Amino acid sequence: MPGDSPDSDLSPEEAQLLRLADDEFVLAERYTEWQIYAPTVESDLALANIAQDEFGHARLWYDLIQEEFGYEESELVWERAPDDFRHSTLVELETPEGDWADTVVRGYLYDVAERLRLDALADSSYEPIADRVPKVQGEESYHREHAQSWLDRLTGSGESHDRVQAAVNRLFPYALTLFSDTEHEAEILDAGVRTRPLSDLRSDWLDEVVSYLESLDIAVPHPADTERPDAVGRDGTHTADWDALHEEFTATYHELGFDEPATLRGENA
Amino acid sequence: MIWEVFRQEKTGDRHTHCGNVHAPDREMALMFAQIQHGRRMQTHSLWVAPKDEIAEVDADEAEFGGTTDKAYRWAMTYNNIDASFAEEVAESEAEQEEAAQKRGDV
Repeated sequence: MPGDSPDSDLSPEEAQLLRLADDEFVLAERYTEWQIYAPTVESDLALANIAQDEFGHARLWYDLIQEEFGYEESELVWERAPDDFRHSTLVELETPEGDWADTVVRGYLYDVAERLRLDALADSSYEPIADRVPKVQGEESYHREHAQSWLDRLTGSGESHDRVQAAVNRLFPYALTLFSDTEHEAEILDAGVRTRPLSDLRSDWLDEVVSYLESLDIAVPHPADTERPDAVGRDGTHTADWDALHEEFTATYHELGFDEPATLRGENA
Repeated sequence: MIWEVFRQEKTGDRHTHCGNVHAPDREMALMFAQIQHGRRMQTHSLWVAPKDEIAEVDADEAEFGGTTDKAYRWAMTYNNIDASFAEEVAESEAEQEEAAQKRGDV
């Protein structure tokens, strides 16, 4: 159980599912921060739609973890300690105020990785995962189209091009953590939960992302020359941005006192 | 730039005007239209057209038809007659009904 025991107790299926669910959930949280602030009504709706999809995917994977491994939703989301979350630090970073380019770049870097990962889970030996992949894949293609449509237009010239470049410089090292492996990687592959190793996904991702961004005249740092962030996410290390976000999205839960429900004539009534 | 959006529910249906979206170009307009006009309703196809490209003539400028009362053309007197006394009428009605069902009108 997250929080109660070290990661080594997780089955390869659980370990894979937690990465999946946490990535989608936390990215969706960041997307929703644009609500009513996006550049136009249309872009606001489009991003809200994408956030809703990602929440839906997180729900799909969290439900599966609950059904198959006996957790409660509260344990997985509202009461889990911040350092028990396993998402990549890419998705938790705070958006620089009003920086639409940052959100678009993050979405793009994530969505390409997401497609590769889903492809590698489509033939998972673990049927409950394989069964759910097609639904998620269907929605993800709109996300990539959305990100790329924006990137094509923002990289034309001037300030927006510079902002995209700055966002790539800032986010690229964190994006590499999407592919950071953990102690479970060998088991995940041996059990056939995922059919391709993270290192393969990473090299496919680099090929695609680098050639696309360079075609837009955006320079991409070379991975070998990129300093790795201290916080990787996959191993429970996170940035300060995450602590703040975690506190924010659990605030209402704690305010309402769901962890200590009032009982009729009880002390908290 | 404003793009008018037309939605077709299923193949063969007419595209019906359903609203508009603001977008800088055709591709983005299609992308936004998918969310705003295709996400919650059954949709087979969407068209977008620049608002400026749509020409209009309205009732202030033109004499449109359909304003005179032509109720006299409708033979309402015979509507409530039980036609069962005439076999050929009943047969004909049955045929029409069957044809309508085949066409999918009913």
